[in-house]
Amino acid sequence: MNPPPKIIGAVLASLIVLLCLPLIARADSSEYAIIANPQINIKQVSLSTARTIFGMRLQYWNNKLPVRVYVLADNQPAHIKFSKEVLGMFPYQLRWAWDRLVFSGTGQAPIQVASEEEMLARIAATPGAIGYIKRSLINDHVIEISIN
Amino acid sequence: MIMSSKSPLINRSCRLTMLRLALLAGMVLSGPAALALDSSNLLQLHGFASQSFITTSDNNFFGETSSNDNFGFTELGLNGSTTTTSSRLRLAGQLLLRRAGESDNGRARLDYGLIDYTMLTTDNQRLGVRAGRILNPLGFYNETRDMAFTRPSILLPQSIYFDRTRDLAISSDGFQLYGERRWNSDELQWQLGAAAPRVDNKEIEVALLRTDLPGGLEANTSFLGRVLWEHNGGEVRLALSTIQANISYAPGAIDPVPAGDITFEPTIVSAQYNSESWSLTSEYALRHFKYANFSPAINTSLTGDSYYLQGSYRLSSRHDIFARYDTTVVDRSDRNGEQYATLNPSTPAHRRYAKDLTLGTGYTITPSLLLRGEWHHVDGTAWLPALDNLQPTTRGWDMLSVLISYRF
Repeated sequence: MNPPPKIIGAVLASLIVLLCLPLIARADSSEYAIIANPQINIKQVSLSTARTIFGMRLQYWNNKLPVRVYVLADNQPAHIKFSKEVLGMFPYQLRWAWDRLVFSGTGQAPIQVASEEEMLARIAATPGAIGYIKRSLINDHVIEISIN
Repeated sequence: MIMSSKSPLINRSCRLTMLRLALLAGMVLSGPAALALDSSNLLQLHGFASQSFITTSDNNFFGETSSNDNFGFTELGLNGSTTTTSSRLRLAGQLLLRRAGESDNGRARLDYGLIDYTMLTTDNQRLGVRAGRILNPLGFYNETRDMAFTRPSILLPQSIYFDRTRDLAISSDGFQLYGERRWNSDELQWQLGAAAPRVDNKEIEVALLRTDLPGGLEANTSFLGRVLWEHNGGEVRLALSTIQANISYAPGAIDPVPAGDITFEPTIVSAQYNSESWSLTSEYALRHFKYANFSPAINTSLTGDSYYLQGSYRLSSRHDIFARYDTTVVDRSDRNGEQYATLNPSTPAHRRYAKDLTLGTGYTITPSLLLRGEWHHVDGTAWLPALDNLQPTTRGWDMLSVLISYRF
């Protein structure tokens, strides 16, 4: 017996919703956010631009300040959550991208810091700096950049 | 024609292995903290040290691996990169020490040394130019082929990344124009170059002209390029790359081979899918060789092909397993090598193809320490290093390899 078209439609619709859910759930629902030094003067970036920045392929900002990217170690829970929930990438993909740049002489690696506290301090002190942190830790010395 | 005195070499290689293991241990203990150079990170230093253990049932791969010379494969690299405060201009270079059996003696060499100028960088595009010794962007792995952490296995699929002609493949001296263009979740990267290939290694002469001749190879202007498309931050990656390497042979005073020109044109199609647990990779290569202006007996043209299929599964973020089938033929019009063996009775048919089934695993002990192991079951000997195998080769053979690698 064939299932009625209504059921097929419902199954297809819920499949589409399920498939799109990770996309909808990403970004703002994460407890992690992109932060930057206030001199950057950007409030929003696209997901593609965020991936370009954390993939180490943007050299300088519109106002000519050099881009300085800060990250935590690959195996830190905060790094894993940020990669997956905000960038929609797996940590190994970022590592591959950085290693390709560093060991082929075509780019540089991000600067690795030991903790979220150090991340916050370094970004507040470095013009052109960008990184990520738990949203609840954001203070007045850095700005949050949202993904549009 | 090729001299080799084995016993002193083995002693020497053992001593070198010890020295390298000591260096490796020293680096592990001193740790990456010693290299935090500059708070703004305008100057970066990175490096790696890898030592492999290789044993073979028959034939030799990087040393007399079928007897007791098992530590013939060592890779040490150190690279530096510095940018100006504006990040527009960048200098980068990498020094490599590589031991790989008879064909690579561990001498230090500059793998790349370049100046890179970014003409344009915005959030959706980039355009730049590089000059100097630049890595050849061939396939997915060529540019980082010596760095174990970037490889899916200890040995890259040999049908495409022949280790016997590594220096020719790895980099060339000249110019490269590059660009990137981004749309919503898609990105196109391209590189175009004109350069002189590196032909100063005897193994390349043996690979191209079958023996170590009195004369030498000379590099002519060659052309290369790659386009790479990435979807959704690298979930799907597709690439097309090619090089036209132009090389001349300049004969010695008394030489059986006259002057002539060799053109080597490999074209590689690459595809990869990446999910959280899986990476599926396949590359296909057509390799066209043309020998012209020698003598009618030497002048020829032939096309070989290669491909591999590889599946890697991440059991956790630290532990992966993989399986790969990798196959190559030297001449497409003679896939089993029988015609060649009939015309050249000293060469067995199995020297003209290789089918390699590989199973392996990798474990990341710490983010900077990697352990790998793999087993190869091979039918054919097309990619065996010639200088390691001066005796007759065996058609069916097995190879077991273990690698430890440190990075910073």
